[in-house]
Amino acid sequence: MNLATYARRNLFRRKGRTILTVLAVAVAVLIFSAIRTVGVTFNAAADDALSDRLATRHKVSITMQLPRRYIDDIRAVPGITSATASNWFGAKDPKERVPFFAGFAADDKWFEVFDDMKVDPAQLAEWKTTPNGVILGDILAKTFEVKPGDRLTITSDIYPGDWEFKVIGIYTPLRRTVDRNSLVLHWEYLNNDPRAALTKDQIGWVMTRIGGGVKSADMSRTIDKIFDERDDQTVTMSERAFNLSFIGAFGAVLTAFDLVSIVILLIMMLILANTIAMSVRERTNEYGVLRAIGFAPRHIVAFVLGESVLIAFVGGLVGVLLVQVLINLGIGPFIETNMASMFPYFRTPPSVMLTALGLALGLGLLAGVIPARGASRLKVTDALRRTD
Amino acid sequence: MVPIRYNIRSLLVRRVTTAATAFGIALVVFVFAAAGMLGEGVNRALASSGRTDTAIVLRKGSDAELSSTLNGEQLNILRGNSAVATSAPEQGVIGEVVLVITSELANGSGTISNVLVRGMPPGGMKFRPEAVIVSGRAPNPGTNEVIVGRGINGRFKGISVGQSFDLRRNRPLNVVGVFSTGGTSYESEVWGDVDAIRAAVGRQATVSSARVRLTSASAFESYRSAIEADKRLNLKVMREDEYFKKASEQTAGFLAGMGFVIAVLFSFAAMIGAAITMNGAVANRTREIGTLRALGFSKIAILTSFVLEAIFLGIIGGAIGVVFVQILALVSFPVMNFQTFSEIVISFRATPSIIANALIFSIVMGLVGGLFPAIRASRVSPVEAMRG
Repeated sequence: MNLATYARRNLFRRKGRTILTVLAVAVAVLIFSAIRTVGVTFNAAADDALSDRLATRHKVSITMQLPRRYIDDIRAVPGITSATASNWFGAKDPKERVPFFAGFAADDKWFEVFDDMKVDPAQLAEWKTTPNGVILGDILAKTFEVKPGDRLTITSDIYPGDWEFKVIGIYTPLRRTVDRNSLVLHWEYLNNDPRAALTKDQIGWVMTRIGGGVKSADMSRTIDKIFDERDDQTVTMSERAFNLSFIGAFGAVLTAFDLVSIVILLIMMLILANTIAMSVRERTNEYGVLRAIGFAPRHIVAFVLGESVLIAFVGGLVGVLLVQVLINLGIGPFIETNMASMFPYFRTPPSVMLTALGLALGLGLLAGVIPARGASRLKVTDALRRTD
Repeated sequence: MVPIRYNIRSLLVRRVTTAATAFGIALVVFVFAAAGMLGEGVNRALASSGRTDTAIVLRKGSDAELSSTLNGEQLNILRGNSAVATSAPEQGVIGEVVLVITSELANGSGTISNVLVRGMPPGGMKFRPEAVIVSGRAPNPGTNEVIVGRGINGRFKGISVGQSFDLRRNRPLNVVGVFSTGGTSYESEVWGDVDAIRAAVGRQATVSSARVRLTSASAFESYRSAIEADKRLNLKVMREDEYFKKASEQTAGFLAGMGFVIAVLFSFAAMIGAAITMNGAVANRTREIGTLRALGFSKIAILTSFVLEAIFLGIIGGAIGVVFVQILALVSFPVMNFQTFSEIVISFRATPSIIANALIFSIVMGLVGGLFPAIRASRVSPVEAMRG
């Protein structure tokens, strides 16, 4: 019997306790990863934004509109490859099949700027010549049970009454963070309707694509400078910053999430430390024997720490496996289909799993430190005398 | 029955293990209670913003002040009803303009968030008797002076007393005072003159919403049916308290729901911790249990005894948790109001029912964790146990 055998056999002397502790570590790793995934994927749309896509909006508020001619001024800027103007439609489903979806009243160039929303070229051409035509995301189309050629009635919390559209096309995402739950109608169609009199000839914001070799910060300054002396000034930012500005008020909640995810790891550490402390107490006598036959205190430390880290490691691996099965193959796809507007993409990235595993190992080591020190510092005579 | 003192002393003897487990339970209870307190804080802030004898009038189809528009003619028709308390400021009806502006946090992090700015007629503040100036002074009517709610004073760049911020070039709004409304969500708003703010954003002739002070709370139904029946108005009338309650349900529901789910997940880990501890207690005391059985204590008595010990463990944890969670009462936390996309700064609020639920939760954790070890204890055979 060598040292490794002793350590391994120790692990299974209290089989029930070891299994429960491994389970506790696994559950903690699972919960930690789940909470982090919410934060990471919530920011994913922002983080995944194209660096060559810029947004220009009213300097004071996203709810304030810009004059229509601003889009022509922006298109004239050298270095801009395409630009599209749009208004927020405030779309609502009268049958309330989805609690929320984005409706954009946009000009013809929308799908040029958002070329990650893939539309069949024939459908796109037909949409451009159909005033009341709409193109919508594949998940939204499925929810509404519509296909190209169908009629679709929606309402708006900005523009009163029923709005009847003709479904022309369905777009599919080319990137994972594209919202598959949105609808695009014609800006002109909205603008020509008397119900939109208050926003007549106004646009909500402009999205632009810039050519290679153009720095987005420089381009932002160039655009904003054009409107600097006009009545309505603009602020131009990267698509990432634009996306973040909508969830800015969520920042504190996301920070709270991060804090809470650390709490579960603390609980895990307490459980692990407790298990190790209990084992050490039960084996005090044995440690006395080991010391008496010539093992050094550092050997005792190694036994205790090794056991702690091993349990943490096995628990962490089980936890990561649970994450893969329960989140990435289980609830993730479910959330992506049913909460597509909020989480177009909901998977735990490997970086989060690695972090969880690493923290579990680190905390496992930490959990063993105090019991290990206690065990190694015992006098041989005291350890042998102790009977409880 | 085994004396309760036996269990209490057992817990005290194994104080390291007891403390580690109880602390784990305490952390779960902390998270559980904190989520409840946050939800309660949102409820208080929003729900207490509204009055039962006041109606809020929006354009039909819009759910929030932000997306609604009313014109002067509609305001006049709203005034011409006998249910309006004409003795109130502005003859019982005030039309206000509401907009959300993007603003940078003053903490230098570069984070941007949304602030709600409310433009009100001269009697707007008197219309809300709970509003008082707590520092600085009231703004002069018809000027570009504004006051900032106590909740967000100093939180955003330029939005604190003595400073100014722009709605439009060369039209700064000067902050001259801080107001309080006794903890309601208005404290997260900026209030100014309706004409000055409308002029700054180019919205001359319209307001966002109207508030109507009624002669009594019971006059609401007849007022509502009279206004909503008027087809040329196309307006929606809600009780003010219900309007705010709706907003609070969305926000508080989201936060409390998330917190509850997280706490329940956490409790799995804590219950495993309790099970490990109680299992250890049973294993260490097999001989004692055998003795107790031999002395004539029944299986049920042993079972009850160990279940009680687990429950005490839970209660100790719960008590630590609810004591520490009181610290949060000193913290204010910005949350997003889904209805306006702007921030409301709220404080955590404990209620007796939240504390009671947290303690019940801790008892359940102890009970579930201790049940199987207790069953094991009750099955100990007296003869074998005493033989060792």
